[in-house]
Amino acid sequence: MAHENSSGVLSYARLVTVARISNLTVRYGNFTALDDLSCEIPEGCTGLLGPNGAGKTTLLKTILGFVNPTSGEGTVMDKDIRTDGMAIRQLIGLMPEQDCHIPGMTAVGFVSYAGELSGMPPAEALRRAHEVLEYCGLGEARYRNVETYSTGMKQRIKLAQALVHGPKLLLLDEPTNGLDPRGREEMLDLVRSVSHGRGVNVIVSSHLLPDIERVCDRVIVVIKGKLRTAGTIKDLKKLAGQPADVELREPNVAFANMLMEKGLTVTPPKGNIYRVQSELPPEELLRVVQRTALESGAQVRGFETAVRTLEEVFLEALTA
Amino acid sequence: MSNIKPIADLSYRNYDGPLKKPGSRWWVIAKNGIRIALKKKALWGLMFVSAWYYLVMLVVLFFVQQITSSNPAGAQAMKAFMERLVWPDQFLHGFSYAQLPMLIIALMLGAGSIANDNRANAMLVYLSKPCDKREYLFGKWIGIALPILVIMVVPTIIFYAYGALTFREYGFLKDAWLLPKMLVIIPIAAIFHASIVVGISSMFNQARNASATYAGIYFITNFFTLLMGGIWASSRGETPFPVKHLFYASIDGVLIGACKAIIGTKGSAPFGIQSQGGMSQVPAPAVVPILGVALLISVVFVLIAWRKIRAVEVIG
Repeated sequence: MAHENSSGVLSYARLVTVARISNLTVRYGNFTALDDLSCEIPEGCTGLLGPNGAGKTTLLKTILGFVNPTSGEGTVMDKDIRTDGMAIRQLIGLMPEQDCHIPGMTAVGFVSYAGELSGMPPAEALRRAHEVLEYCGLGEARYRNVETYSTGMKQRIKLAQALVHGPKLLLLDEPTNGLDPRGREEMLDLVRSVSHGRGVNVIVSSHLLPDIERVCDRVIVVIKGKLRTAGTIKDLKKLAGQPADVELREPNVAFANMLMEKGLTVTPPKGNIYRVQSELPPEELLRVVQRTALESGAQVRGFETAVRTLEEVFLEALTA
Repeated sequence: MSNIKPIADLSYRNYDGPLKKPGSRWWVIAKNGIRIALKKKALWGLMFVSAWYYLVMLVVLFFVQQITSSNPAGAQAMKAFMERLVWPDQFLHGFSYAQLPMLIIALMLGAGSIANDNRANAMLVYLSKPCDKREYLFGKWIGIALPILVIMVVPTIIFYAYGALTFREYGFLKDAWLLPKMLVIIPIAAIFHASIVVGISSMFNQARNASATYAGIYFITNFFTLLMGGIWASSRGETPFPVKHLFYASIDGVLIGACKAIIGTKGSAPFGIQSQGGMSQVPAPAVVPILGVALLISVVFVLIAWRKIRAVEVIG
């Protein structure tokens, strides 16, 4: 659960902080890409959400030291983003949004070269390149020139070069860009498996909500360079007052009326589903619903705590 | 068959092995540039082409020595030939005639060095690693300069060794500083070519455009040099004012002028041929200004590359 600390920075209890950003402002000439942004990114997999041009990529580039912040400060794994760029980049793996590779190289040559650039000894880099390419599903194509790869393979090789040196933090910028549905599924599986239980923290920047929901535990929503909301997906999707969705076999007006007579709020049904809200705890609410169903002759098919979709969370943040 | 799983564990494993501290990535980049260059067969051919003057002179000198040593009557002819040969000028010619192949080698090694990276967005790969712009540029630069240096130094040293061992009595070692002087000018040439080609390469995202630009500059300025040389030759040794200053205003000219100035010769006809007033005999420029020009041009092109290399395009 995210909460605001004394300095107004959103932080997470009991989780190690991977990156801490305080009042960060980045300007390109007159354009403000990040506007006094403060947040903490805990360990695990965090989604960076925002519409195109929101400042997501700028935030990643600032973390990497590509862009000098106009003001504010930040640390990544206790290293200052202003002064320790090199040390940070040794701990980070970046999978950029654009296609990128070293021309004229085979996949294994490219990935082992990326390993050497990250500081690995040549023999270790070569061994690890084979290992990572196998993991990314490019084992069969490892001796092919990268320039002959399909879009899906190019996405995978970008992930491989980011992973080769065993980064502690992986920055993935639109990892499913240009992928077909199957490729997208496979890429998300890779990201999910690397970010859960492998000791690699991941920041996924995307404007594709289903992708974020699939792989991330937490999200940070950035809009027009400002932090709009942050927290675990589970918490953000919760509705105020913890309403419940009651699914009936068929619509039943008497059921709704009887609930309202008992002081509960019932919204007009969507199909056979009634959203019921009350101050009661969920267990007590369930009992009331069961009793009312019995009295009204309604057949209850399902009962669950109502949640918003991530899209609704995002739209709310967008319009706030 | 689709249910068959590999025996090996292909799941992700962390790497906890050694990682070198930042600061030596330039050598990784240079090494990679050299490794890619060495795979090009044409480079090996051009290495021999660039040393053609030394190779021909080695053959000529070898046969002259063999024939005259077995024929006492030829001793007089050999003495006359040796007296015509100006030893420092043989190095000047070896150096001068290597410049055109060096241009091609520089293009082969360097035209795509940054241009191809621009095309493939490779800068994001390089600069997202613990490798900064300085290391990237220096690595690319060394990857071009070092092979050029080696390609030029090896034939020079072989020719010098042959001359020093065989033709001492014909004044080969008259200038004891000849080899050190050559070992000064050759790195200057390597630096000069590498700096220009790196600068030009950084301006494009296609190697062929960078090649065309450098070759264009080379040939256009060389045409200018030829024009000045023609004026000088027709003036029969009287150095007209513009020739004195502008003969060396080309890629070749700067290097040949610097070579003449450093080894202290005004030049003579190649292969010991008796000739007066040829273009190769335009007087040497002063050392400091010509080296200053070479340095200035190198710095300008390196600065161009420095400005052009960016991990991200920032629109301000």
